[in-house]
Amino acid sequence: MSTPRWARALLRFLAPRHHEDDVVGDLEEAHGNRVERRGRVLAWLLTSLEGLDMGFTILRDRIRRKGPPARSPSEASSEDVLTGVGISWLDFKLGFRMLVKYPGLTIVGSLAIAFAISLGAGMFEFITDFTYPKLPFDGGDRIVELRNRDLATGRPDPRALHDFVAWRDELRTVEEIGAYRTFQRNLITERGTARPLLGAELTATALSIPRVPPLLGRLLSEADEVPGAPSVVLISHDVWQGQFGRDPDVVGQTVRLASEHATIIGVMPKGFAWPWSHSLWAPLRLNVLDYERGESAAVQITGRLAPGAILEEAQAELTAIGLRTAADHPESHGELRPEVVPYGKLSLPITGIGPAAFLSLNVLFFLALILLVCGNVALLLFARTAAREGEIVVRSALGASRGRIVAQLFAEALVLGGVAAVVGLAGAELGLSWVMSIMRRLGEDFGFWFSERLSETTIAYALMFTLLAAVVSGVGPALKVTGRGVQAQLQRAGTGGSGLEFGRFWTVVIVTQIAITVCFVPIIVVIGFDTAEIRSSSYGFPAQEYLFAEFAVDGEISSMAELGGPEASGNRVSAEFQASYNELKLRFAEEPGVSAVTAAGQIPGAYHPRRFIEVDGPSAPVWSPRGHRAQTTSVDLDFFDALGASIVSGRNFDAADLESGQRVAVVNEDFARFILEDRNPIGRRFAFNEQGRENPDAPNPGPWFEIVGVVRQIAMTINPDLNDASGIYLLLGTDEVYPIRLAIRVGRDPESFAPRLRELVGDLDPNLLLTDVRPLDESAWALELTYRSWFWVILGAGGIGLLLATAGIYSTMSFTVSRRTREIGIRVALGAERERVVWAIFSRAFKQITLGVVAGGVLIAGFLMMPEIDYRPKPFHAVIFAGYLTVMLCVCGLACIVPTQRALGVEPTEALRAEG
Amino acid sequence: MAVHSLAEFELLVMLAALRLGDEAYTVSIAGDIEKRTGRSVRRANVYTTLQRLEAKGLVSTRLGDPRPERGGRPRRLVTVEPVGLAAVRATTGAIREMVGGLDDVIGETG
Repeated sequence: MSTPRWARALLRFLAPRHHEDDVVGDLEEAHGNRVERRGRVLAWLLTSLEGLDMGFTILRDRIRRKGPPARSPSEASSEDVLTGVGISWLDFKLGFRMLVKYPGLTIVGSLAIAFAISLGAGMFEFITDFTYPKLPFDGGDRIVELRNRDLATGRPDPRALHDFVAWRDELRTVEEIGAYRTFQRNLITERGTARPLLGAELTATALSIPRVPPLLGRLLSEADEVPGAPSVVLISHDVWQGQFGRDPDVVGQTVRLASEHATIIGVMPKGFAWPWSHSLWAPLRLNVLDYERGESAAVQITGRLAPGAILEEAQAELTAIGLRTAADHPESHGELRPEVVPYGKLSLPITGIGPAAFLSLNVLFFLALILLVCGNVALLLFARTAAREGEIVVRSALGASRGRIVAQLFAEALVLGGVAAVVGLAGAELGLSWVMSIMRRLGEDFGFWFSERLSETTIAYALMFTLLAAVVSGVGPALKVTGRGVQAQLQRAGTGGSGLEFGRFWTVVIVTQIAITVCFVPIIVVIGFDTAEIRSSSYGFPAQEYLFAEFAVDGEISSMAELGGPEASGNRVSAEFQASYNELKLRFAEEPGVSAVTAAGQIPGAYHPRRFIEVDGPSAPVWSPRGHRAQTTSVDLDFFDALGASIVSGRNFDAADLESGQRVAVVNEDFARFILEDRNPIGRRFAFNEQGRENPDAPNPGPWFEIVGVVRQIAMTINPDLNDASGIYLLLGTDEVYPIRLAIRVGRDPESFAPRLRELVGDLDPNLLLTDVRPLDESAWALELTYRSWFWVILGAGGIGLLLATAGIYSTMSFTVSRRTREIGIRVALGAERERVVWAIFSRAFKQITLGVVAGGVLIAGFLMMPEIDYRPKPFHAVIFAGYLTVMLCVCGLACIVPTQRALGVEPTEALRAEG
Repeated sequence: MAVHSLAEFELLVMLAALRLGDEAYTVSIAGDIEKRTGRSVRRANVYTTLQRLEAKGLVSTRLGDPRPERGGRPRRLVTVEPVGLAAVRATTGAIREMVGGLDDVIGETG
């Protein structure tokens, strides 16, 4: 347990310039001493307390040493006046009192700022993990990745075995150069077959780069890399715990990695997952002589910057070697340029922008968000400050300077911001952990350094924005309140009149706020409806009776992933894979309870690629300039029979289609309806035109496929945004497909068949990897999860916006009543009707609400009319909008209730007394 | 030039810094005072006291080499300046003067 990170961040933030390192160093050293004397847990607690004490003392000392300003007699009496900027401890105390005195403002204001901080800090942490990763190793910042970049494609070229050897021998600025490649394999122990695990084949040097010793056994040695040496493997702490029950004698035991036997030589410590999120480590046995230059196996190369060397020097040396290699071997290296980057740093620019620009965009977004939120909080604080006008005027009269009063109001805003920062940072950690868990469920694999905790940098970043929030929301209103002539205010205050007003600026703030809130409504409604639609989507067959499984052959996944997927590698279903699948089908046929089994490139409900097609002959008008689009998948001969989908015209696929190699297709009913406009599809031809029509250089479409049948509509991609579900089914084997997905009909509770499925596959061939097994009707779960997550995020943001708008209107109304007490009293005394008095006061609020809702409506209408948005109005949309307008008016009306009652409760005598 | 007079804790910090010599920095000074006086010392107080003494010109500080036990961070080493030494002499001299003749009383109560 190391020194608490937040304590280090706090001290780094508070310590005077040039003192950060030694102050944090003191904390580290004291913590180390405590760990030796008192144990880790107690030391952590004591160091936390010391960090707080140290931070508080440094802050107090810094303020004190700046010296107090020239004080007025009324202010100077307190010994607590500490500051050169005019802030006293009394101000902070007052700030806390204000939090308690105005609980509504405290809740709304701190929630709003906390929301902005949560979002900004969470995104910053996530992005910095990608762009500026911090590896949790000794000297982790000196670990680098070496790679070739193809100038033509802009992508890294991993076929670098020859370069690895050259760089290892020649580079002086980078040491400990090692190579690795990834595999996914079944680990089979005496206790049974494990799920597929991610492993790395690496050189001994590559495994020792992190400088982490094994928990048990030893690391890899160079002798292990020699071809023919006994097969060995190291396992992760999780595998040791899960598969071997933390057996202390695990070292020396033999396991099977797919079909290969290997001896366990070590267990790595908990949390170790170098180089990405790996659980197994085996020696890399690639001989460079076995490969032609530029044709070698894909490997990743890592190393450490030599002591004293910097990245730029390493790049210069590497570039020199790269240019020489390009000159010597132009055919393989003419277009390649080597580069050295910090390990784990984003390898590809996102949409053309580099990491630094990406981070700057985040900072700008955060800045805009915090300014927007704080503009609203400033409105609330202005109302609170205006309500204390009398106090401020009296203090001014007693000699308090404008700066002194502004400083006090700033301190109060800082207290509010501080509370919000604590809530916001806690929310950011929770949010980060939530987002990462969702992304993991969606199949995202994070590097081991991705933490669900916030880093010191992120905490300091959030604190800086908290300070900005306090300046915007505290200083702005304070300057406004103290900006007028004190004498004039004094006179007005003395007669009960108003010295302050909500001007046009605040009106604009409220109207904008309402308009933005209105814009959230259709988004929330659409996402909500879409989520419900996904959940209730019909598959067109009893999907709840099927088990879904995805399987591949060991080694093929990793080699394809490294080369950029099946498209790049040109990999198709291998003969070995096809044979395994056929054998598996035979075994399923003998299995009790299994009534059908079939295979396809994509299973109903999951994502199906939408490809551009050209249709031979008449078809519907093309709405996209690039041509018609249809979802496409490849299916087994018995696919439609296994799912119970009947052929409505023409015929099904048959064995002769497979043998003849003729290009035939079956389309669904939507294809016939939308693309062919109900013309007879049988005998018609189409071709894929991947580039679309727009590209004049695109090759002619082709080859042509003949439509032989139309199948009843069953689900392909379940996507509520797709109005047209036109689909094409090709025969498995005539198109690229990898890996294969199985649909196995097993009746109710398909999940209970999963263990038997693993057993069957394991018995058939240990090289077969079952990478995903779940009930088929969950195939749209990823989409639903994404929609549901968005729904809650947008709902939260909309809720906060509504809360702010309501609170703003409440503050305005409350303020107006307090300012117009005298006028109301006189009107009532003169016999004015109560309704007219109320309308005279609140007409402004209702005008603001109406204006805001109309502005929001115009924004939405403008958005929906954009040609890119394929919006088709439905009657219920108008109902929703009208309903929202009513709800908004009611909510704002509710916000007016208390001020209204107060206004009507004003007695004429009270008003006249106020005048006197 | 007027000789500074030191408060009690400032005097303890100055004496510890003089005793530790080249090894005087916040953590070692706090440790030395704790060891010799037996009282618990807040390191934050030592730090701010050193800041104050430096502002008065009684001590000067410089950064040492990075050290592994401090996460690769350096110590801020303290040197007592001649003015500081004079302040220590003046303060301890004043204490001695005040204690003079009270040995019997202090001896009995203390």
